[in-house]
Formats: sequence, C-alpha cells, structure tokens
Amino acid sequence: MKWKHKDLLGINLLSKEEIEYLLERGKYFREFLDCSPKKMKYGEGYCLVNFFLEPSTRTRVSFETAGRLLGMEVVNFTSEASSFQKGESLEDTAKTLSRMKFDVLVVRHHQSGVAEYLAQLLPLHVINAGDGMREHPTQALLDLLTLQRKFGYFQGLKVAIVGDILHSRVARSLTLGLKKLGAEVFFSGPPTLLPLAMEHLGAKIIFPVEEAVKGVDVIYLLRIQKERQEAGYFPSIREYAHFFGLKEKWLDRENSRPLIMHPGPVNRGVEIGYSFTEEDFSLIEEQVTCGVAVRMATLETLLQGEEQ
Amino acid sequence: MKKILIKGGTLVFPQKGVFQDVDILLESGLITRIGKGIEDSRAHLINASNLLVGPGFINIHVHLREPGRETEENLLTGSRAAARGGFTSVVSMPNTHPPIDNPILVRYLLLRAKEIGLVNIFPAGAITVGLEGKEMAEYGLLKEAGVIALSDDGRGVQDARLLYLAFQYAQYFNLPFILHEEDENLSRDGEISEGKVATLSGKRAIPRVAEESLMARDLVLAYRTGARVHFTHLSTSLEVELLRWFQEKMPVSADVTPHHLLLIEDDVLGLGTEAKVKPPLRSLEDQKALKEGIKEGVISILASDHAPHPSEDKSRSFSEAPFGISNLEITVPLYAKALIEEGIINWVELWEKLSYNPALFLGLDNKGILEEGRDADITIVDPGTRKRVEVSNFESQGKNCPFENWSLPGWPVYTIVDGRIVMAEGSIVESEFC
Repeated sequence: MKWKHKDLLGINLLSKEEIEYLLERGKYFREFLDCSPKKMKYGEGYCLVNFFLEPSTRTRVSFETAGRLLGMEVVNFTSEASSFQKGESLEDTAKTLSRMKFDVLVVRHHQSGVAEYLAQLLPLHVINAGDGMREHPTQALLDLLTLQRKFGYFQGLKVAIVGDILHSRVARSLTLGLKKLGAEVFFSGPPTLLPLAMEHLGAKIIFPVEEAVKGVDVIYLLRIQKERQEAGYFPSIREYAHFFGLKEKWLDRENSRPLIMHPGPVNRGVEIGYSFTEEDFSLIEEQVTCGVAVRMATLETLLQGEEQ
Repeated sequence: MKKILIKGGTLVFPQKGVFQDVDILLESGLITRIGKGIEDSRAHLINASNLLVGPGFINIHVHLREPGRETEENLLTGSRAAARGGFTSVVSMPNTHPPIDNPILVRYLLLRAKEIGLVNIFPAGAITVGLEGKEMAEYGLLKEAGVIALSDDGRGVQDARLLYLAFQYAQYFNLPFILHEEDENLSRDGEISEGKVATLSGKRAIPRVAEESLMARDLVLAYRTGARVHFTHLSTSLEVELLRWFQEKMPVSADVTPHHLLLIEDDVLGLGTEAKVKPPLRSLEDQKALKEGIKEGVISILASDHAPHPSEDKSRSFSEAPFGISNLEITVPLYAKALIEEGIINWVELWEKLSYNPALFLGLDNKGILEEGRDADITIVDPGTRKRVEVSNFESQGKNCPFENWSLPGWPVYTIVDGRIVMAEGSIVESEFC
C-alpha cells in the first residue's frame, strides 16, 4: 500500500484500509517478537527521539524497544532535566531536536493538539504518543491488534468501555478505530465522566454499567486517576470500585465470558478487584506485547513512505 | 397479624381525586379489600362514620435530631409525634451530629427505626460530606444503605460546580434532591425577613434574594443536567413564579410549611423566638402567593420542616435563639385551617399533597394510593371536630411552637402503619395484642 502520511497523529485521520494495513504489519511483527534473536536491520541509520513531556514508562519503553529492534538509534528526551526547566518554549526545543536531524519524533504532551502542531512545524516524522485528552493512536492500534488476534474479525464485535471516558485519549482513539472497522462501542461509567457529547465519537452511552456490558464481547476498563476524585467527579475510590470496578456478575453468563482489557497499569482493588486472578484479565499482558509490534509497524510504515 | 376492618367512613382516593363511602379491609400489611358492606368477624373493627379514611400521610421534611442531639428529639419521640400527627412515613433530614453522610449511619438509623416500629422513617442522605459544601458524599453507597433522597437541609450548597456535578452523578443512582435554598453571602447573620418589621425592630434582615437567587441557579442546573429536584419550604412569591415557569420545561416540585401559610413577619413581634424560623416568615403578599401556588398545583407537596429545639435555647435572646418550629403532630390540622377552612383546596386535594404526591416524588410505589394490594398505611381524620393545641402535651420533645392554644379542625384520629394501629384517638398504641 502506498502510504501517504508523513506522521501518525490520530486514528481519526486514518482510513479503514490504512488501519488494516498497520494491523497486518503489526501482526507480522507480533509473530516476529516470539522468535529469538530478534534484531532487524530495517531501521539502521534512522534516528528516533522520544520527546515525552508527561510521565510515561510503558509507552516510552515500548517505543524505544520498537525502534531498537528495528535497528534504529533511540534517544530519550525527558522534561525533568531539560531546558524546559530554564523556560525554553516547546517550539524552540522541538526545532532544536529537529535540527539535530532526527528522523522520527515521538511526542507525548498534556495539551490536546500538540502532535499536530509539531507535525506542521517540523520536517521529520511525528508520532503522537498521547496528546492531552485527544488521541493516543498507537494505544488504539495495539488494542485493535490484540482484539484481531483474539477474535479474527471486527464487524459486529461489541465492546463496552467503562470509566473516565471524558479525560481519556485511549477511549477516543480506540472508539474511532473500532467504529471504522465495523465494531459496536458502548460507553458507561460515572455520568460526571461521561457527558452526553461523548456520543459524537460514535459510541452509545448506557447506564448503568450492568446494562452496558450485557452481551458484549469485550469489557475495556479505563484507568481511573486519583486526581479526578480530587477534582470532584466522583466521591471516593471505594465508591468508584464498588460501582464501576469489574464485577463477577458482569462476566457470569451462560455463553462465553466477555474478555477484559485495560490500558494498564491496573489499579488493583479499583478497576479490577483482588478477587480476580491474573488469568481473568490475561489479555492485558498480550496488549503490552502487541504494543511493541504496532509501534514497529508504525515506524516501518512511516519510514517506508519516505522511500516511496 | 390481625386484620383491620374500617367501616362506615368516607374513603379518600387522592390518585383519582374522589371520595367514596365504602369499607376497607387490611390484612398482613396490605390493603386486601375495598368495597361496600365488607364483613369480617375476625377483624378488628374501626367505626369510621363521619371520618375520612385515606392513604397514610408522608412528610418529606422533618428533623429527628438523632444521632447527636437525642435529648432534643430522637427516633422514638419523633416517631410518636409523627404517629400522632397522622404521618405513616417521614423523611428525616441528615443535619444531625454527625451528619448522615455515610452508609454506616444510614444503616444505624434504619435499624433504630425498625426497633421502634411505629412509623416508616426514610433517611435523606447528605449532598456534601459533613454538609460542608466542599465534596460530594458517596451517593451510591448511601443509596445501597437505604437513603431515599439527598439534602443538605439547613444549608444551601454554595458551590455551583459541586452541585452541577452532584446533579449529574446522582442520576446514576436515581436519587432525587430536596433543596434548601439559601445563599449564605446574602442571608449572612440575618434573623427575620427584610421588610417592615425588620426595619422597625432593628433586627438583621434576610433578603428574599437569598433564597430566590439560589433557587433560580439550581433550577437552571437541574434543567441542564436532568436531575430531579424538589425545593423545600418556599417562602416568597417570586419563588412560586420561578417554579411555575420551570414546570413548563421539566418535572420539578416544591413544598411549603404550615407556619408560612399561617404566620407572617408581623407575628414575630408577638411570638418572639417561637416565630424565629428559616426561611423567615415573610409578608402577607408572599403568603397569598404561596396559597395561590397550592391552589393551582404549582406547589404540590405539603411538609412540616418540623425542627424541635429545647426550651432553654428558644428562651435566649432573639439573636441567640435557634431557628425552627416544632409542629409535627399538628401539621395536618394547621393545613386544614390554612387551606380547607379558607376554601383554597378540599380534603381530597389536601390528601394528594400530603400523601400521593410525596409518594410519587420519593418513588414509593405502594404508598400514597388506596387500592387493593398496596401497603396498609392509612390515616383517618376527623374533619369536623375542633381542638385546641396544647404544646405541653406534644409527644415531641420540641415544645417550640407558636401555635399554643390555637383552635384547629381536622385532627388525625387513627394512624395505621403496615397494617398495625400505631395511634388511636390521639394516643400512641404501645403494642399490639394478638
């Protein structure tokens, strides 16, 4: 397929075919990851900079691993020990990195729209690793790859996403992707974190959670941040866990049990209680591995587009 | 459980708006038969000739002071006062010490209420933790424990964003709000209504806008969020107009107290601290607007705001005395005087506002209706006989009542809860002999 995007900014900008292509390459790399030794030469001579201005371990390490496995040079930029502390602007810092002739810049920032802003500003490939409450496309791709490997199809697949939808770029990207591929998406959670306008993403809002998860194939639990309680969106962690945390009765049904997904890391005792075993949510581990695979696929695809 | 047959009375059907001279049989906590000429030799017989028999009265606003101030009122004395007042169910407000803002306290109240077993007590839970207006309480856990509604009564929720989020969040648990409206920046340390009396007596005034502005804000918040809200103790004419305007757009209700229908600001001069109450007694024009609102149906619920206080507190200086009036056992006769004697509404309409409408608002599907299969919560009223109010005889520990010696019609003569007679001829029935 001829790839026409310089950057990966969001699922919203991708066509169904483009998503399918990335998943196909992701599937290839996912199989490759099970072999050893696993060093590729494809990315040799290309340089990647992880430009993370929000705390992240999983996504950053995942990108770093993906880049290294492809043979790329990887540099990590962190805001803690940087010129940001000295008051340098985002624009200046990003331009400086660009002048160092990196090929790919992976950016995470707390403001929605920063990835797009940098993509317009800089000649290099920009990959959005999460911008504010907007998108987190590689998270969606890894979730989609996990689902594809498990189910083999998307058409008619039913997914319930539960929790803080309002602040979640994960929910936004995943919903956009699932809808493009023909799946059905249901939202539920505390109404304060799920305003009606969220239906513009193409999902159906259902209260209470018990109703939303009825008959779905997958329950996707979002991580709840403690600061949402401090900001008044719900009264307490114990109440959140009691009403919006995973319940055995959501899973207990005659036919097949729904599968559990979560972007990680799980707040044990909150989204998922201690009564559940690791086996109940084993897909979460697969999501992590798929994360490396789709990031390899993304890097490969963007760099390949350059050659064409 | 003993059967009860009520014969010869006039039954009041508030859900249909009609009276009918028929008998009614109660058995195992339910209404089992309604019809003409019912006979049952094994049933306890109540002769109800010249009496009105209807679904039990439900009072959505009382203060029972437990836990924390049990010497001023508690679930037992409050239940006895309610039974005597013809109320089969009461909603207890959460401004106790500590406030009812967590599930353990709700469970405690319900256990106590069950032990006492006189009337149904439905606790309201706090809107905010500690009634401090800073954080939402745990509505889901409160509802599971048994709260029926949410209220910070005694205080208004000052923070608009907090209430905006609370209105959204509470809908998940299907909990309605009972709102005490008072902008504390406007009411400040006011004592009585703004107006003539405050001007002449030099007492600090509570402006009408203190209630009106917060009510207007909360009507908008409820309209935008879809929350089910009820405004308690209206006192001004503009509040009635605001309500009327919003009722065209959404379901929203309000109640009044009997004292706002029978007393005005001028009465503070003669009655002193016994008439010190929040919201304050207002002008005759405001009172007329409240009565007009009741007649029209804009104000659809009649409550008490029964607020018992010890005599030593009420005998302090006017500025130091607490706000509140004890009225639970005379609420119905007070309404009979204010509304029926004055020809504003009739008994079936009064019953609708004291039983059917509160049951509907609270979601008590089996109460507020006389029908076979519904709960055997029944109040019997003697509409014809007048009696004098003797505050010293109150079952309530709160003797802070400005209606001493008033001659009132329409006293409840029987209160039957869950198929058991808890009050007969004005006296509490201590236990049932089987």
